[in-house]
This record gives sequence, C-alpha cells and structure tokens, in this order.
Amino acid sequence: MLKVDRLGKKYGGRWIFRELSFELGVGDRLVILGRNGAGKSTLLRTIAGLTSRTEGTVMLPEGDSRCTLGLCALEQSVYGQLTVAEHLQLTADLRGCPARIDELLEKVNLDYARSRPASQLSTGMKARMKMAMAIQANPAALLLDEPGAGLDEEGRMLIDQITAEQATRGCLIVATNDPLERRLANLELQLV
Amino acid sequence: MNSSWFREIRAVFMKEWQSEMRSQSGLITGLLFSVVTVYTISFAMLNTKIKGTEVAGLLWVALLFSSASSLPRIFLAEEEQGTAELLRLVARPHSVFWGKALFNSLQCVVTGILLSVLYLGFSGKVVTVPWLFAVCLVAGCLSLAGAVTLCGAIASQAINRAVLSAAIAVPLLLPLVSLGVSGMRVSLNDGLMSDGVGAAIGLVGYACATMATGPYIFAAVWKS
Repeated sequence: MLKVDRLGKKYGGRWIFRELSFELGVGDRLVILGRNGAGKSTLLRTIAGLTSRTEGTVMLPEGDSRCTLGLCALEQSVYGQLTVAEHLQLTADLRGCPARIDELLEKVNLDYARSRPASQLSTGMKARMKMAMAIQANPAALLLDEPGAGLDEEGRMLIDQITAEQATRGCLIVATNDPLERRLANLELQLV
Repeated sequence: MNSSWFREIRAVFMKEWQSEMRSQSGLITGLLFSVVTVYTISFAMLNTKIKGTEVAGLLWVALLFSSASSLPRIFLAEEEQGTAELLRLVARPHSVFWGKALFNSLQCVVTGILLSVLYLGFSGKVVTVPWLFAVCLVAGCLSLAGAVTLCGAIASQAINRAVLSAAIAVPLLLPLVSLGVSGMRVSLNDGLMSDGVGAAIGLVGYACATMATGPYIFAAVWKS
C-alpha cells in the first residue's frame, strides 16, 4: 500500500535520515519517534511529496494522491479569511470528492464554528479542522504530525477514534514527541 | 474542459474572491492607485494639450505599475503564509494557475476600466475608435494578468521573491506595453488604423499565449 525504499534526505550537507525502508499495508499504524530535530516532520513531508528526497523512492497507494493521501500537520497553514466550512468545500472541490461538511464537522466536533474564519480559531480548533480536511477523501494513507498537540482530552479521544477508523481502510503514520501517542500505533520507528 | 477542471478552477477563483472581499486589500490599493495616478498626471498636464500617444503611454504606465505591484502577490502570499503546501497536497497545478490568473484578470480589467474612465474624463480626450480601445484594454489587461501571474508563480519559491518577480516581468511586459500603446493611441485618433488593428491582434495573441503556456511552466515550477 505504502512503500518507502532506501529513503534519504540531506539538508545543508547533513543527512537528516538515510537508508530508511518500510512497507505498510492495511491496518498498519506506524509511529515515528525521535528527539526534536531528528527529522520526523521532514520524513512525513518527504513521503507526502512536499519536500524533495535526496535518494530512495516512495510508492504511495494507487490512485490520485490528492485523494489517497491525507496529511495533518501542526505547522500546516490555513487561510485566515476563509471559514471552517469554506475550507472543507475548497479542499473537496480541488480533490474532486464529496465535501461531507456536516458529517466531518460533526465528527471533529466543530459544527458550532462552521461559519467562523480560521483566523478566529484556537490552536485546537484549527487542529480539528485540519484533521477534517485530511480525512475528507477517506485516504488510504493518513499522515499525522504531532496530532495531539494543542488538543484537549476530548480532542485526543477524537484522534484515537480517527486512527482506529483509518486502520480499517488503510495505513497510518504518526510522527510525535509524545510517548503517550505510542498507543495509536502497532509499529514503531525511532529516528536518531 | 470537463466538469472536474471547471470545479477546481472555480474553487481557486472563489477562494481568492472570498479572501479579497473580506480583506479588500487589493481592491482598496487598486482604487487608491488609480485615483492618485490620474490626479497626479492630470495636475502635471494642466493646461497642456496632449496627443493620443501620450495619453495611451501614460495610461499603460499606470496599468503596468498597478498590475506589477499587486498581481504577483496572489502567489507570493501563498508561499509567505505557508498555505501553498495545502494547495500542493490537494490541487492540480493547472487549476491553481488558471483560477488565480482568472482572478487576476478580473482585478486587472476592473482596474483598467476604472483608470481609463477616470483618465479620459480628466484629460478630456475622446475615443474615436471605441471597439479598438475596448479590445486593446481588455486583451491588454488579460495579457498583463497572465504574464504577471506567471512571474509571481515562477518567483514564488525563490528567497528574494519580490525582486525576482519584478526582474522576470521586465522582458515579458515591455513588448506587451509597446503593443498596448500602439493600439490604444490609434483608438485615440493618433496613428494609422492598420497599425492599431495589428497591435490589437498582437495583444489578443499575447493573452492567448500566456494563458495557454502559463500552466505548463507553472506546473514544472510547482512540482520542483
């Protein structure tokens, strides 16, 4: 489903990671651990194609990557002027998938803020909105970067629910500093 | 163009439209620029009889600066705010380019019409060939929007984005301005009709060329 083969990323003359290989199938949930600056976020971005790789290959799930791949990252920016519902409509129109705005907002418990501009959302609310955008097309591979950051207890339960659902339809990669988020995975990768 | 492309292009256009309607930064900047430019030129030319060529030249200079200073922002802002990554994840480069170019075209045409009405009103110059003036204005604005959007797109990933965008724009826009002035001066009763028609055809061709090739150039930059 998702295959990473001898992946390497060099930045400023230093290898961030090198010779990384793994293969994930349906139901596989991989957690990437490592200290700050170990390259966890860079690895996710490289898999998603947002950062160029120095060597190796990444094989994404078959199909249009706009729909088969979902990414939710802490540092991902959103449009401050657009509302929550408009963000979901935008990503659905660009992906060519159903918007499912009511269903997704209910799922991430953000229905009450659907008409609020993103600039007026708290960090946790933005994280929920980004999560809704990431799972909108029911992706075969879901990449989560620090998914619990900024979320309250209810938000963490939501992450548990979403990762469990993801395991039934595809694979999941979580990059985190939080040892508690090991609970989300059945596979571990330590970056040094 | 199938419905999927239409939906994607419309989505990018609507995103720009909604953002602009709420912030109104481009709208207010364009309006202020038009009024100040027309006022300054009119004040400088007070009691001076000016020819069609000069009117067309000054109008195009105003249009050029208005476009070159505001339109590339549409791409540069995406990179600066970090929202370009969201687009890279969910959008195809062609729809991003066409959606943004369409929005820039609308903005440029509105600014062009506003500038022309104000400028012709203040200068008292009469348009003797209205259809030629309209073709030159609309095709010129579309060409400007296409070329400037492309410059912004190419420069958006560079470190010195604003400088690079302006530097790329110079060789791209100079022939365009030359064509625009040639066509518009004829519509203001200064020059041969055949020259004006030739310039108008050149402007339409320029607009088609930038809109057709722009997405392919942008796609190469977008993915790199």
